Amino acid sequence: MVQIALSVMENVYILLSAISAFVLFGVIAPLHKRKKLQLTLSTLSLIMVVIGASYVFTASPFVSTVSLFAIYPFSMFFVILFSIALILINILSYRNAKDYIQFSTMLSFIGLGLFAVSMANSLITILLGIELVTIPTAFAILLNGKNYVEAAVKLFIMAAIGVSMIAFAIVLLFPLDPQLSLSMTISNSSSTATYLSLLSLLLFIAGLSFDASLFPFNLWVPDVYAGAPGYITALLAGVNKKIAFVALFEILFIVMAPFSSTFALLFQGLAIVTMFFGNIAAMIQDNVKRLFAYSSISQAGYIAIGLATATAYGISASIFQIAAHMFMIIGTFAIVMWLEQKNVKTLNDYNGLSARNGFAALSLTVFMLSMIGMPPLMGFVGKFLLFTGAISANLLPLAVLAIINSFISVYYYAKVILAMYSKREREALPADASVNAVVWICLILIVLLGIYPQPLITITSISAASLQLLH
Amino acid sequence: MANDNMIQIPFIALSIVLPLLGLTCLAYFQDYLGRRLALVFSGLSVICIIGALYISIASGTNFVAEQYSYYIPALSVLLNLRLDPISFALSLMAGIVAFVALLSGNTEQEHEKLAGSLILLFQASAMGLFAAGNLFLFFIFWDVGVVAMFFMLYMLGSANRRRAAMKFLLYELLASLFLLLAIMMIYFYTPLHSFDIQYIIQNSQLIPTGTQLLIFFFLFAAFLINMPVFPVHLWLPDAHTEASTQGSMLLSGALTKFGGYGMILTFFMLPMSSQFSVFIAILATFSAFYAAFVLMTVRDIKRIVAYTTIVEMSIILLAIASQNGLGIAGATFGMLAHGFTISLLFLAAGSTGHMFGERDIRVLRGVVKNAFETAYTFLTGVFATTGVPLTAAFIGDVLIFMGALQAFSLFGIIPLIALLLTGTYLYYVINKSFLSTKEVTQNINYIGASQRAGYLLLIACIFFFGIAPFIILNLFNV
Repeated sequence: MVQIALSVMENVYILLSAISAFVLFGVIAPLHKRKKLQLTLSTLSLIMVVIGASYVFTASPFVSTVSLFAIYPFSMFFVILFSIALILINILSYRNAKDYIQFSTMLSFIGLGLFAVSMANSLITILLGIELVTIPTAFAILLNGKNYVEAAVKLFIMAAIGVSMIAFAIVLLFPLDPQLSLSMTISNSSSTATYLSLLSLLLFIAGLSFDASLFPFNLWVPDVYAGAPGYITALLAGVNKKIAFVALFEILFIVMAPFSSTFALLFQGLAIVTMFFGNIAAMIQDNVKRLFAYSSISQAGYIAIGLATATAYGISASIFQIAAHMFMIIGTFAIVMWLEQKNVKTLNDYNGLSARNGFAALSLTVFMLSMIGMPPLMGFVGKFLLFTGAISANLLPLAVLAIINSFISVYYYAKVILAMYSKREREALPADASVNAVVWICLILIVLLGIYPQPLITITSISAASLQLLH
Repeated sequence: MANDNMIQIPFIALSIVLPLLGLTCLAYFQDYLGRRLALVFSGLSVICIIGALYISIASGTNFVAEQYSYYIPALSVLLNLRLDPISFALSLMAGIVAFVALLSGNTEQEHEKLAGSLILLFQASAMGLFAAGNLFLFFIFWDVGVVAMFFMLYMLGSANRRRAAMKFLLYELLASLFLLLAIMMIYFYTPLHSFDIQYIIQNSQLIPTGTQLLIFFFLFAAFLINMPVFPVHLWLPDAHTEASTQGSMLLSGALTKFGGYGMILTFFMLPMSSQFSVFIAILATFSAFYAAFVLMTVRDIKRIVAYTTIVEMSIILLAIASQNGLGIAGATFGMLAHGFTISLLFLAAGSTGHMFGERDIRVLRGVVKNAFETAYTFLTGVFATTGVPLTAAFIGDVLIFMGALQAFSLFGIIPLIALLLTGTYLYYVINKSFLSTKEVTQNINYIGASQRAGYLLLIACIFFFGIAPFIILNLFNV
């Protein structure tokens, strides 16, 4: 434990009270039912979370609050990142959600879950956090009416299976440390304990792979992504998937660190099959939303490369790519949602989009170029870090396969770009202010952090290194 | 390095930033003013390169380097720019070609704003690529150039352009992925983990031999696709047939030089690659003959000119493979000459297509009657391609074949026959369709003053560097 100055403690209080305020505003929203007030209050409280967390991040303290939460650079980075994502989703849902007030209540639960997982210091916190994220998401889909029941039920069942696997994995570790703290030591003293820990490791990976959409567990992803309304798809792809990776980082690199060679091997396989599955399936899609669902599966495969390297460099690369993909996919699904409302869904409908709304076509092109990994955009830096991480960990074949995948992905991204820039005169599509706001924010972040990525690389490497601190 | 008493102007950085400023002007000002400002900025960028050249000559060194702060300290990527004799020649050429394309390439006067902004983006990327001091910047500028060129091919050009643009993109992205892999491997196997080209040149022998072999294979594949040389050249003729005049000028004039420059760098960085030089020379010879023979079956002027690019680039690959001072100087000078010549040919061919609505040599007759400037410009371009004395290509060819003679003895000059075959066919084309006046195809359009200015500028460059080659060649001897 490190002695902390009072001012840092005050900042921690500011952070925690801002999080509480965010949740409270969400819970009391149905009582007043004022949309504008709720949007303002929740956005302001999230901005307070960002400010509080960044003060604590720069101070780099290590606080353990009742042994359930830990405040260290890694957790604070993800608190900041998820707060920004929640602000974006909040703006996006303001006009587009069928019932913004009720969605906002669900979003506050989701936010609590996100912050809980990010700051977790105990396996129980991770379990509760994952539950708090996935189950309200299923309800949020359901809020939109009868047409969305299928997607909601599918997500609910998959979430239930995932959570029960995680619960079982936690139970197996109970004999080792009744407190279930992340800093538990996994002993290799008796072979029984080792086998139980290995089984627990596999169950953790399987349970979290449902949310992280890694290969054998991701068959639900396209259906739910395509079936859910656009702003929830953005939430699913931009936030829910990322929180599973955060939980994986915490469990694998803090609790399961002695088994790093085992899970590194496992993740090499997972990364390869996930990338190939996502990219090859995306090639034959006609519905653009489904295409991006598969593309986001392949992106999960790229992120898994960082886990496969099992080095601090690889983790920081993964964290960078998580941030990059979060902004790319939220911006993309914002545009896709807005177009879906105008009944523009298939590749054929996307023909001539540039003539109908130039800004939407241009920004979607930038997002897709970033997903391909074109410099000087954020996606390029992320992929570059990931691939160099793989090469530095002596995983050259993995890097080669990942690069081949980047090449395959050009095919379907280019299909969308080509459709948008083909000439077909049709009536103009009026822009939507909230969608444009979200797209602008994502666009600026992707271009700026692509041209000058150094600050974010520094932050991610501090975060990745701080994972060791908790042990 | 520049003397201390000289005013330090960051010429190289300016040459990259100015086209981007022009792009901003084009986007924000009214059409007329925007276009003028874009031209001014594009020209200023070329003048910056000349300024850097002047500094280098005045200070008696053969390179100018500029270094700014760290770009990405975490990866030890510096923001360093460096112009050496090779990149001086190439960036000067690329800048002038882009300027002329902006000035006079758009004979149809369609989509001027879009075309202009893509040209300026491409110019910035070309200037950056040739001046990049480390491989990270090299890769970034490479991909920006490829994307700009892709949009140029996709959005501007004739009816079947989309298919050709897609083909171009797939080939070029494959190349850029090979390049990325090679760059990452170099980064991790050099002792200090550096992207800096000068550092890699000095320390590459510390990389394990097997890895060097792999890196060489990746780099060679990437640059071979871009140059393009025989087995991977298929994207080029299609792209040129469908591209707009401006697109063709930049594609052959500047983009293929990315590969040539990269190939020279590969041989500098990995000395072990000289053990393959004989095989590369055989490939280059075969490619030159292959392209020359295919050329003779082609009837579209732009496609003919496109195939001459493959012939020329194969010969430049031969010069690079010969691995001696003459060869490198010849490859550089050959690329400089080829850049001017090929853009002149494409400008003339594009103007012909615009004026007569026809580019097929079986139909086109008597161009000289109604458009004598274009006909004689094309003739000058053909002279320059075949290396008639006083044109820049003559100096390039002499150096290349002297280098090849030195390295491969008499076998080295076999590709000269391919060049002669190409020249013969080009004279036949000229004679049959441009200069014969038995029948005359009627004009449907006329060219303007800007096209004439473009012709003049490129012809002036061709003869200037043909008469005064020492401006570039002196740099090699310092």
